[in-house]
Order: sequence, then C-alpha cells, then structure tokens
Amino acid sequence: MAEQVTFAIAAIGALGFGIGVVFFRDAFRAAVSLIGTLLAVALLFIVLEAPFVAALQVIVYAGAIVVMFLFVIAYLGDRPIVPGTDRMDAVQPVAWIALAGVAAFGAITVLASAIGPEHSVSDTNVGSPASIGHAFLNQHIIAFEVTSLIMLIAAVGAVILAKRAVMLEGGR
Amino acid sequence: MTVPISAYLMLSVGLLVLGMLGVIRRRNPLLLLLSIELMLNAGNVALIGFSRQWNDPSGQIFALVVMVVAAAEVVIGLGLTVAVFRSRMNLDVDEMSSMKG
Repeated sequence: MAEQVTFAIAAIGALGFGIGVVFFRDAFRAAVSLIGTLLAVALLFIVLEAPFVAALQVIVYAGAIVVMFLFVIAYLGDRPIVPGTDRMDAVQPVAWIALAGVAAFGAITVLASAIGPEHSVSDTNVGSPASIGHAFLNQHIIAFEVTSLIMLIAAVGAVILAKRAVMLEGGR
Repeated sequence: MTVPISAYLMLSVGLLVLGMLGVIRRRNPLLLLLSIELMLNAGNVALIGFSRQWNDPSGQIFALVVMVVAAAEVVIGLGLTVAVFRSRMNLDVDEMSSMKG
C-alpha cells in the first residue's frame, strides 16, 4: 500500500514538473522544474530498491548538471526569441506524427506484453553499493572503462570549446 | 501488493513523450537540452524497473552509464551553446545551420 501511494505521488510529481520543463516560457523556471522531475524520479528509484542510484541521481543530476544549466542560463540571460523563418516548417507535421507514433507504440507495447512473473522475492542487496561495485568490476568492466574515457573526452572538448570562444573575442 | 512494472513503464513512456514534445517545440538550445535530459530520465526509470523485476544489478549499471553520458552531453552541449552565442549573439537552433567556425 505504501509503495502504491509513494509511486502515485512520485509519478504525478515527475509528469507535472516534466510538463513545466516543456511549457515554461522562462528558461530559469524550466530548469528549476527539471530539478523537481529529477527528485521525483529519485524517489521512484528508492521505491524500486535502488538507493545507490537514487543518491547519485540527486548528487550528480539535481546537484551538478542542473546547477551547470542554471549557470549558463544566468550567464546568457533570457534571450527573447526572434521570430524568424523556420526552416523546419515543412517537416513539422512529420515530427508530430512521429511523436504520436512513439506514444501509441509505447503504450500498446507495455499493455500488450506480459512481462515475466510479478516481482515477488525482493533481494534488497541488489541495489547496494557493494553489489553495484561487484557488477561493475566483474561483468561490466569494459563499460566502466569506456565511461571514464567518455568523461575525459568531454572534459578536453569543453576546454577546447571554451578556449576557442575566448580566442574569437580576441582574448588569450 | 506491489506496483506492477507496467506502471513504471507507462510512466517512462509518458516522460519520453514529454521530452520529445519539448524537443519538437522548443527553439532555444538550452531548453532543448533540458528536454533531452527528461528523455534520458525516462530511459533510466525503465532500466531501474527492469533491474528490480529480475533482481539483477545490470539495469542499475546501465542507468549509471546513462547518467555519465548525460553529464558529458550537457558539458559539450552547453559549451557549444556558449560558443555559438559568443560568435552570433542569437539563440535559435534554426539559425545554427552552417558548420563554419
């Protein structure tokens, strides 16, 4: 019973804040709304017996990533969108059809497929840091190494981008 | 009585469609990136749901890798946005059509 109530609250929160992310005109409000969605999803992770991922979700996503968004939004300010010519006007209907298709396909697939037996025995150890560390280093070591490589490339790329931007303005 | 996994999957579909909606109707690259974050989170919800369904930590590993990819993508996306803004002074994805530096 408690799980159902928590799920309902978190699901409504995630979807509600998600609507805010998509429809808020103000960039700052949209970013803060994303924090709400991320916290609701973290609550879902706790319900799903994944406390470690929930903690990382709060620290990395709601903490680091959104703060970076807020920094850039504050730095660039709120730009009024210049109503220019939209080159993609011609394909707009295709995008809407694709959106409706994904929604219908997802709903039908989920409703039509019988996924396994209902989760019965809960092994709370699956979500523990020890279990995740074991899985990372024993079965998914390549994913682990590729992940660190991606982060290195992203850091180097960000530095090069920033340097170019400063040089374009005539700085060092 | 637990919540069935199909409920989590439906929520995941809803978040993904919301993110797609944002990508279609937003023109500011910053808000576009926010919508992409929403879609990545939808994927994470499904992965963690599957992880509990089969008592296997692999789904959580995937979710962690997705989070790292999201962080890297945000770093590069925001770097590009700032660089484009500094050289063009206008933020509209439809205007960013040339690949010249």
